Amino acid sequence: MHELKIAEELIGIVIQVAETENLKKVTKVNIQFGKMIMIVPDVFHFVFDCAVKGTIARKAKLHLEILPVKFACNKCKEETQIDDLIFVCPYCGSNDLELIQGRETIIESIEGEKNG
Amino acid sequence: MEIKIMKNVLDRNKNKANEVRSLLQEKNVLMVNMISSPGAGKTTLLEKTLENLKNKFRIGVIEGDIATDRDAQRLKEHGVPIVVINTEGGCHLDSHSISKVLPEFNLDNIDVIFVENVGNLVCPSHFDLGETFKLALVSITEGDDKPIKYPMLFREAKVILLNKIDLIEYTNFNKAGFRVDLNNVNGKVPLFEISCTKNIGMDQWYNWISNEISSK
Repeated sequence: MHELKIAEELIGIVIQVAETENLKKVTKVNIQFGKMIMIVPDVFHFVFDCAVKGTIARKAKLHLEILPVKFACNKCKEETQIDDLIFVCPYCGSNDLELIQGRETIIESIEGEKNG
Repeated sequence: MEIKIMKNVLDRNKNKANEVRSLLQEKNVLMVNMISSPGAGKTTLLEKTLENLKNKFRIGVIEGDIATDRDAQRLKEHGVPIVVINTEGGCHLDSHSISKVLPEFNLDNIDVIFVENVGNLVCPSHFDLGETFKLALVSITEGDDKPIKYPMLFREAKVILLNKIDLIEYTNFNKAGFRVDLNNVNGKVPLFEISCTKNIGMDQWYNWISNEISSK
């Protein structure tokens, strides 16, 4: 259930930005999670809806994008996107790899209506 | 209107973890974040490790426990400083809880802190504590599919211990398959096959960790 902790941190940022930007309500929250974070989207939507209760984002829709895992091979320098989480370079067979995408927990943007 | 943010949601945890890491570096203290399922043998591994290394190094322990201090009670007799973090149901430790308890240690007199995280293979691997490295402990009785099911932990761990190796003949654990899966997730990580209770393979672990502590 790391989803809950991540949702709490997310709402903290959403509220802070909404206040700074003088929004009267938040209508949408756009986030991206890397596949390695192992977020279950249904679970995240559920905990998000719980966590926004009573806040400026209580009616916000959540747009969640899962980013695939990508790595760069340190040996042949090729970049690969994988679906099966097998960390072996398909070009040269090396397992000396640098993860370049897949660990993200990013809040991209929020959408809302301004006061006044 | 849309407001661009592009920020890591876990920044608060990451920033605090970096503070912890800087402090430990300054004090020349190694911190090991021990992650496993419940019942894999983290506390037993710690008991044996303390027994073997406590006269060689100055050791501290942080015990993450969901609801009790039973693990800490088991370790008490070794006479090393132990601090319990009770997560009250929380499924992982985070950098803020570590930062809060660090002042309870005299870091000038410590070489290594072992952090026993809450038993769980998913959540603890996502929260940086400011550790020097993660250790993954997995046991024969859990089955051989753990590396492929929980790639984040096995990808990020600096060392893997496969515990309860003495029980393998009573299970259908496929060691070759386990090694292939682990190799596919993290082909560079050292793997030690051990049994904490039957004292099998423990010397290779003691040597490895002693070397890490000495060369920090």
